Parts: sequence; C-alpha cells; structure tokens
Amino acid sequence: MSKHQIDITKNVMAKIKTEKIKMKPKWYFWLGSLAIFIAVVGLTIFSIFLISFITFSLRSHGPMGIVRYQQIVSNFPWWALILVIVGLITGTILLRKYDFSYKKNFLFIILVFISAVLLAGVLINILGFDTFWINKGPMKRFYQQYNGNRQKLNNTIINNRRGKRPPQ
Amino acid sequence: MKDLNKLTDEQIIEIVRTKDKELYVEIVSRYQKKLLRYALFLIQDKTKAADAVQESFINAFINLNSFNLKMKFSSWIYRIVHNQIMNTFNKNKRELPLLDNIDFDSGKNIEIDFSKKEIKERVDRCINQMPIMYSEPLSLYYLEEKSYEEISDILRLPMGTVGTRINRAKVLMKKICQNTK
Repeated sequence: MSKHQIDITKNVMAKIKTEKIKMKPKWYFWLGSLAIFIAVVGLTIFSIFLISFITFSLRSHGPMGIVRYQQIVSNFPWWALILVIVGLITGTILLRKYDFSYKKNFLFIILVFISAVLLAGVLINILGFDTFWINKGPMKRFYQQYNGNRQKLNNTIINNRRGKRPPQ
Repeated sequence: MKDLNKLTDEQIIEIVRTKDKELYVEIVSRYQKKLLRYALFLIQDKTKAADAVQESFINAFINLNSFNLKMKFSSWIYRIVHNQIMNTFNKNKRELPLLDNIDFDSGKNIEIDFSKKEIKERVDRCINQMPIMYSEPLSLYYLEEKSYEEISDILRLPMGTVGTRINRAKVLMKKICQNTK
C-alpha cells in the first residue's frame, strides 16, 4: 500500500509542478453553468409556447365534425409535436447530466415539469395571450397564418352550403 | 505550513486555487489511503485501484475550480473516484455479480441480529460476492464511515434509496455469510 501512496503523490505532484496538468479557469465552469441554465429555461419557454400554440391551433379550427378532423390532420403542426418530444427528452438528459435532481424523486420532477409546461400553455390560451399575439409581438405573422386557416375553413363551409366550388 | 493540520479541506482547496497549487500535496496525502482502500474494495486489483485513484486526483485538480466550497470536499473526491471506477468497469467490461435466487424480506429486524462491529468483521469475507449496487453503499457506510447524506452525495442517490440499499445489503450479506461459513 505504501508503495502506491508514494507513487501517487510523486506522479500527481510532478504533473502539477511541470504544468502537464492545469486547472481549468473559473469562467469555463461559469460558461458551462450558464449554457445549461439557458438551455433549461429556453427549453421550458419553448415547450410552453408550443403547447399554447397547439391549443390555439385546435381552438382556431373550431368544432366542425369531419371537416374539423380533416383540417386538424392536414394543418396540425406535427413538427411542433416532434419538437416537444425531442425537447422533453433533451431536458431529461440535461437534468440527469447536471446532477441537480438526484436528491428528489426524478420521476416526480419530470412529471411536475411536464404538468407545469402543459398548464402554462393552456393558461396562455385561456387567458387570451395568444389572441393578443395575433395582433402584436414577434410571433404575429406565425399566429396569423394559423388563424387565417380558420377564416379559409369558414369560407369553404359557407361555399359548400351554397353549392359553390371554392375559387381555384 | 506549520498550521496545515488545523486547516479544513475546503480551506486548503481555496489556497490551492488562489495562491499555492503545490499545497495540493496535502490533499493527496490526506485522502490517498482512504481512497485506495475504497477503490481496492470495489476493483479488487491493487494496480487498477492505484491507477483509478491517481487519475481521480488529477481530474480533481483539473476541475478544482468547479468545486463549491460550501460543499464537503470528501464527498466530491469520493464521487470522482466512484466515476473513475465506473469508467474502469466499463472499459474492462467486468461482469458484476448478479442477484440470483435471492429474495429480500422487509429487513426491519436485521439491525438487531447484526451489530455494526459484527458486520465490519465479516465485510472482507463476504462482500466480494455482492452486487456493487449494494456493496458500495455498505462499504461507504461501514468502512469509510460516511453518513447517509454523504453517501447520497457520492452516489447521486436519494437518501431513502441509500437506506434501502444498505438494509438490503445487510440482508444479502447475512445470506451470503451464512452460506460461506
């Protein structure tokens, strides 16, 4: 045992003295922590926005039976759903990797996170923030595009009732 | 230097980080024996254990600025050794002992049957046959005399899980020791 002790001390200290190994600077770890923080916050905001957008999109298309179903299938933002799934998986990996969740039940943290994101997304929809975004804000055009589909749908239904073909 | 023994690990780390990096030798001398015992217990190979501890000291030095001085240094360095050993296991693809034909009971009365002293005496004889997920917390608790909280920090497990694993390890050890008498 003593032989190992001498070797370890000698080897480690020799590498330190000859500067073969160097301490990573503090900013390196601050940058890493900042990146993780931004990633988690960004992921949360992104997920809330997507949930809000999906509920907005569903509401925008209205309750119209088969037409509504077809409209939802054709216009549903499947890319958003895939992004939410990918985002949640990434978030889970980040939480695991960053090791700040081990003292609590990990499953509980994930469930609370998903519930909070879903609730926030639906609340935005109920409180009408998405309606506000149709007229103002950086997502104006994006929301208007999906809101515009509702107008197109209404026109199609009215034209069908009147026996008219929609303009090509 | 003369008051070095009075300094805590965390105080020494602060000096190493800001003033004198060669004072790291004090950290190495404080921990190498304990860490070698811990590594040897897990790896069962003196050379590999020494390599793992040496690599751990090097990694700890390189990442010393990431250590939070409000935390316990001992938990941090044990965690690094744990990770290093897990990497060694993965590299060597050592097959860990599996749990075959072993049933667990509630384990509530085990402490009555096994005092701490008795377990310490039997550890060396029986421990090698246990799966690492049970033997590691047991060794940290009885051999390294770590608290549940420290083991939780080292193994990154909730405290409840640490307690459960230690209790199960005691049950398992009782069965193994009875069979190997």
